[in-house]
Amino acid sequence: MGRYILKRLLQGIPLLLFISIILFLLMMNMGDPVATMGGRRVTRSSDYERLRRQLGLDKPIYVQYLYWLAGNDWAKTDLDGDGIAETSGIRRGILRGDFGASLLARKPVLDVIGERLPNTLILMVASEIIIILGALLVGIYSALRQYSFMDNFVTAILFIAYSMPIFFIALISMYIFAVLFKRWGLPYLPTVGMFDPQIGRTTAQVLWHMILPVLSISLISFAAYSRYIRSTMLEVMNQDYIRTARSKGLPRRDVVFIHALKNASLPIVTVVGLDLPLLLGGAVVTERIFAWPGMGRLFLDHVDRVDLPVVMGILMLIAVAVVVFQILTDIVYAWLDPRIRYEK
Amino acid sequence: MKRKLLFVLAIAALALSACGGTPKTEAPKTTPVNSTTPAVTEPPVSQAEKKVVTLIYTQEFDNLSPLYTSMWFAWTTWQMNNHWAWEFDEKNEPFPRLVTEIPSTANGGISADGRVITMKLRDDIKWSDNTPLTADDFIFTWEMAVSPKNTVATTYPYDAIESVTAADPQTVVVTFTEPFAPWLATLWHGILPAHILRPVYDAEGTIDNAEWLKNPTVGCGPYNFAEWESGSYARFVRNENYWGTPAKIDEIFIRFVPDDASQIAALKAGDADLGTFISYSDVPGLKEAGLNIMVEPNGYSEWMFFTLNKEQSNPAIFDVNVRKAIAMSIDRESINRDLLLGLTKVPASFWDALPYYNNPPLTNYPYDPNAAKALLDKAGWVDTNGDGVREKDGVDLVIEHATTIKEIRQDVQAVMQQQLAEVGIKLNVNPVDDTLYFSSYADKGPAAKGEYDIQEWSDGPLFPDPDLYYWKCDQIPTDENPTGENWFYICDKELDSLITLQSTQVDAVERQKTISKINQLFYDKVYLIGLWQDPDVYAIGSRLKNVKFSGVTMFFNIAEWDLVK
Repeated sequence: MGRYILKRLLQGIPLLLFISIILFLLMMNMGDPVATMGGRRVTRSSDYERLRRQLGLDKPIYVQYLYWLAGNDWAKTDLDGDGIAETSGIRRGILRGDFGASLLARKPVLDVIGERLPNTLILMVASEIIIILGALLVGIYSALRQYSFMDNFVTAILFIAYSMPIFFIALISMYIFAVLFKRWGLPYLPTVGMFDPQIGRTTAQVLWHMILPVLSISLISFAAYSRYIRSTMLEVMNQDYIRTARSKGLPRRDVVFIHALKNASLPIVTVVGLDLPLLLGGAVVTERIFAWPGMGRLFLDHVDRVDLPVVMGILMLIAVAVVVFQILTDIVYAWLDPRIRYEK
Repeated sequence: MKRKLLFVLAIAALALSACGGTPKTEAPKTTPVNSTTPAVTEPPVSQAEKKVVTLIYTQEFDNLSPLYTSMWFAWTTWQMNNHWAWEFDEKNEPFPRLVTEIPSTANGGISADGRVITMKLRDDIKWSDNTPLTADDFIFTWEMAVSPKNTVATTYPYDAIESVTAADPQTVVVTFTEPFAPWLATLWHGILPAHILRPVYDAEGTIDNAEWLKNPTVGCGPYNFAEWESGSYARFVRNENYWGTPAKIDEIFIRFVPDDASQIAALKAGDADLGTFISYSDVPGLKEAGLNIMVEPNGYSEWMFFTLNKEQSNPAIFDVNVRKAIAMSIDRESINRDLLLGLTKVPASFWDALPYYNNPPLTNYPYDPNAAKALLDKAGWVDTNGDGVREKDGVDLVIEHATTIKEIRQDVQAVMQQQLAEVGIKLNVNPVDDTLYFSSYADKGPAAKGEYDIQEWSDGPLFPDPDLYYWKCDQIPTDENPTGENWFYICDKELDSLITLQSTQVDAVERQKTISKINQLFYDKVYLIGLWQDPDVYAIGSRLKNVKFSGVTMFFNIAEWDLVK
């Protein structure tokens, strides 16, 4: 297994390099970051040329990519526009752990991302846990009570939730539970943000403010996951080994949760494994509506302003996470199913 | 074992929320400069007793430093923890802030040739660490603005200055290379603390990476910057060392809420005291919820600009009679009444928000489709084939109109399309995503390339200055000059000479006469059609009082804001 993991990690390197080239080329065609620096006005001509030179945006694409990858502390640049490249660069490049600095915030990209990542993990991990646990419960129940009234009722509710766009769910839940409940004198939830400034940032405040965004994210994915679990459980419950386990007199709980669920969860592990790295990307719409300061909003804000270093930093982080989580998924697969072995 | 592992993971995820360890930009609690300097501390009241005002910003500022950003939202903070040399009140009239009086020729503050501005500073201004604010800080600010080693957002207008010197610690002498008329509106938008940043510049050759740019802990305003958590909030606390009248509110909490609907919900629920950039369609609902709506002119209006691009535009729009006919075919009053709920009005002049320069005041071309038809007939544009669209010399009167995908603009486009069809003009509407629309000429931005006959956006002079340099011929973008800002592609020699003249006229009376000529020229030649005024619209919660706004120094009286008991 160890050699397998190492082999997969080494395979990941050229893959990430290829991904970085594609992403860089795409980002370079996203727009002009300097054009947005004039505020409400178009950037003045003299400022435009100066900023492009100072930020290294006047270089050919391949040079900009090289500086992003390997840094520019080995090269000299013409910072003051006198035609003489006399100023040493200060960037070390992503290969040496330097993701560059945000063109807007003038802060290191890793700092910019680091400020938002914990907020995203709080929201997305909590949502994912609720989705998986809830979907497991509902999916198993639905499989065991197929076509019962509760099964049909829950299925209908979930399909309604699944068919609604997330912005609708988010806004309607905000209006009902925050605005209207307060107006009606009922206990109400907060609208936006992570805490009430009058109270301060406490665990209770953050949990309280998480309720509506987590509910919004969970509802839609919950529907999909529960149907998937229901489907795989039904397939497994009809297998011979399950019939054998029942006829041997094993308790129902053991049959369902030990024998059936374990086998039914293999495909689910794949789905969850694909989803987990995407957690890092946050939930763009939900974060925007609830003003939750996460990675999704960070990405959107910086794409809008064409802040290439930050956007590349986020995308590469997700790319690395996908590669790593795919390896982890394979490991979990082997753990769940002893028949799976990756090495001879 | 596996169950325990899952349980532990679940608890760990929830425990992340207890960490409170999200990296954020936070001001150190006390940073005494020397042994006699009292430390900067927050007032000793409990969190619940503190007077905290919550503002909602729909965009997060990119940074807080004067010189390094042009964002409106960042500008608002410079009346909190910084000051302009002179600021502008609710009538957008200037008043002295860091200076004792506004320089003028009468008080000797402006030299006879208009090149030298002498500013007398107050002798009681100090930074929050008790260091006096002197002429040296102004000199340093200018030096940093023009240093090629600093990646400032703009060097304007500091690059027009020949020198900034100190006759004494309270006297700043600014010498321009040529008479510079826009100085009052463009100079000293926030001052940098030389005693903090000069050592950084001397050591590193730039202030780009200075800690103060991320943590402007030392300021000269009624509030001190306290902390900024990216994407979430920023906090300013009362400056107990403020040299002026102390602020009444303990803390200003700025929450970043990018979604308009969420902002409205938060305001209605009482989770915020002030909202920014309110859409007109939300105004009735907010009023019903008990909020006050305040509107402040900022020099911007929504305009349709005719793009006289010889290579691309329909030949029809080069005819002033066609342009007049278009102006008279659109019922702009009803658009304002019905789509903008009568909350704003049709601008008649590019200087509508500067009445001094819109003098004599212009009146709009009236909505008169019959007169428009007559003009088009006279210009030779007639519908000979009965398809409802006029033509001339084989060219159909089909006008390409472009603007961004903002909802109100799309609604207005639809109305205009209908109204122009009634006089035989076919308007093709082209909504474009704003990032693409406003891309540069080098990036083939459609507006910069002048691809459409009529291009629409919100614009105005360099308010509160009447300057409009970007309308000049040498500002037309070309392959040789891709950064040109004259996206109207108008090259009018008379206009050019008037724009050049007014930019050097330091005497307000003479400048007013020149601007009035430009005002009339715009009207006579119908280079642009005003759709609606685009002021700043604020929603204020019922517990906030004494609030006034300026279109220039937005929160100029923030120290006077207070909460109703």
